[in-house]
Amino acid sequence: MKWRYPFVFITLVIFFLLIIARLFYWQVVKAEMLSELAQSQYSGIIKILPKRGEIKTSDGFPIVANKVSYQLFINPTEIKDKSKTVGILSSLLDMTEASVSAQLLPDRLWVSVKSGITALKKEEIEKIKLPGVGFEEHYKRFYPEASTAAHLVGFVGKNESGQDKGYVGLEGFYDRLLKGKEGYAVELHDALGRPILSKRSGNTGGSDGGSLLLSTDRSVQFLVEQKLKDGIEKYGALGGMVGIMAPNTGDIIAMVSFPSFDPSKYWDFDESLFKNPFITNTYEPGSTLKPIVMASALDAGLITPQTKCNICGGPVRVSDYDLHTWNDKYYKDTNMIEVIQHSDNTGMVFVALKLGADRMISYLTKFGIGALTNIDLEGETAPSFKPRDAWYDVDLATTGFGQGISITPIELLTAFSALANGGKIMQPRVVTAFENSNGEVLKIQTKVKGAPISEKTAKIMTEILVNAVEKGEAQWTRIKGYRIAGKTGTASIPVKGHYDPNSTIVSFIGYAPVDKPRFVMLVILEKPTSSIYAAETAAPLFFDIAKNLLSYYGIPPSE
Amino acid sequence: MKKPVFIIIFLLGLIITLSIVKAVAYNRLSTSGVFVGKVEEEINFYKTQNAILSEELLASSSLMNVAAKAVKLGFTSEKSSLMVLKTSQPLAVKR
Repeated sequence: MKWRYPFVFITLVIFFLLIIARLFYWQVVKAEMLSELAQSQYSGIIKILPKRGEIKTSDGFPIVANKVSYQLFINPTEIKDKSKTVGILSSLLDMTEASVSAQLLPDRLWVSVKSGITALKKEEIEKIKLPGVGFEEHYKRFYPEASTAAHLVGFVGKNESGQDKGYVGLEGFYDRLLKGKEGYAVELHDALGRPILSKRSGNTGGSDGGSLLLSTDRSVQFLVEQKLKDGIEKYGALGGMVGIMAPNTGDIIAMVSFPSFDPSKYWDFDESLFKNPFITNTYEPGSTLKPIVMASALDAGLITPQTKCNICGGPVRVSDYDLHTWNDKYYKDTNMIEVIQHSDNTGMVFVALKLGADRMISYLTKFGIGALTNIDLEGETAPSFKPRDAWYDVDLATTGFGQGISITPIELLTAFSALANGGKIMQPRVVTAFENSNGEVLKIQTKVKGAPISEKTAKIMTEILVNAVEKGEAQWTRIKGYRIAGKTGTASIPVKGHYDPNSTIVSFIGYAPVDKPRFVMLVILEKPTSSIYAAETAAPLFFDIAKNLLSYYGIPPSE
Repeated sequence: MKKPVFIIIFLLGLIITLSIVKAVAYNRLSTSGVFVGKVEEEINFYKTQNAILSEELLASSSLMNVAAKAVKLGFTSEKSSLMVLKTSQPLAVKR
């Protein structure tokens, strides 16, 4: 009998040792794995997608906002009556029955049928209470002003991994700021999968995208779009563009170009239309460059407004090339005021030769020609000058009247703003302030980019340009009572080593009112067919827009 | 000798009371998950409604819409009545 006690005792000890060993195995050896397993059962990581920031015009109106849209998905295993579901969905979603039916494979648990469904349509479908049909909420870009300022704002597409990404314009330039940061939250559930309040972590590391406040005036942008559309139609042009800048701040008030695209349906348009031609297209500026060259020579003290041109009696011969005026009219001993008034090419050859290649390159560089303006829009280009050794006399002479040199419209607009702003060039910009997701606003300071000419030269040049408007070939279309400085430009288009005789790029650049300019505006029309001259096409369009702007800003006539 | 006994009893009582409070609080919090879920659902619903209404408001107050409605109501921009005739206008046209 004695052996029974030790036997039971040893058996119990072994039994307990086994339990302890097993407990040690689960609680110590496998503790980490079990903890992870448990956590995966009662908690879930929720990915919190940030809301993309808005783009607001100067009046605070969002021209780019977000709208709620839904993605309809189906769980094929839950569908009871397949043909009924397919029939209803295809009629409500405007899809063929075959395309809906093809997606309902029984081995799948989640099938996306259509995205971009409106809230109204979602409610309509939900009322029918189809089993196995669900919705996922998304935000997508919404453009209250439709395709207004499309080139300026750009569009939101997808990147290689299917995530939203901004392309061109502001969406491209400020993509990182607009898109915000993805966040994560851990939520614990009870046995029935219901969330437990005390165990939810906040949104970690995420934030909604910031918003952009633009210098662009919505009313002016809208007005200019209408006027440019009408102008292109009226003058039979292939396209056109208008840029308006506040010379004292560098703020872009409006930037319009046609043909354009619809950012909400960008996939329906050719890729070539996405580029903003105002900052990417290069062209020969023609006579609109003359004031820049003339101002350079005035600033260098090489000429005065009364300097007489002693080579202007006929065509000028430079390096075996005969350089003519645009209308083959010549004015002997004409002065510099009249050179700009008549848009006299020979007079500008005289000025360019006086300036010389080195000073010409130096001044054009100071005006920002041949370099990026660094405007805050994606895709800006700037053709650089040819090397100094490659500048021959004829290149210098033709540059004097804006041929043989390529620039972008934004370069010209920025350079011209120096004449309107007492010789100072401001850094062009579209965004004036950022607003973060908490509503805090960070204003961006204006920046002086350079001062290529003195204030005195700018004033003299302004008077020469006022005279050009009042007595030049576009005088018929000027606005009476207002002193406006401006210059026409009719540039030939280089094609395979020569200039196309039948088509031109016409432009008009100017600013008003001259005493305290509120805007500098450049109007360009590509290959107009009603007339190849700027005085009959771009100039009337410029003055039509200027008239509306002067009235909009409440500026009374000065005369 | 009485003092330590009193303190021990007091501490035991306090521990038991706090444990009961804790158990009650945990019990209430754990079941309020359902309520929280409903509140969150409601917040999301209003957020969505707010976004939809903002969208409608923006679409209605856009210049595109205002201009289109103005044209419908008969407001048109002033057009110049000046005409430039390159050739003389015939006094009568033979039909």
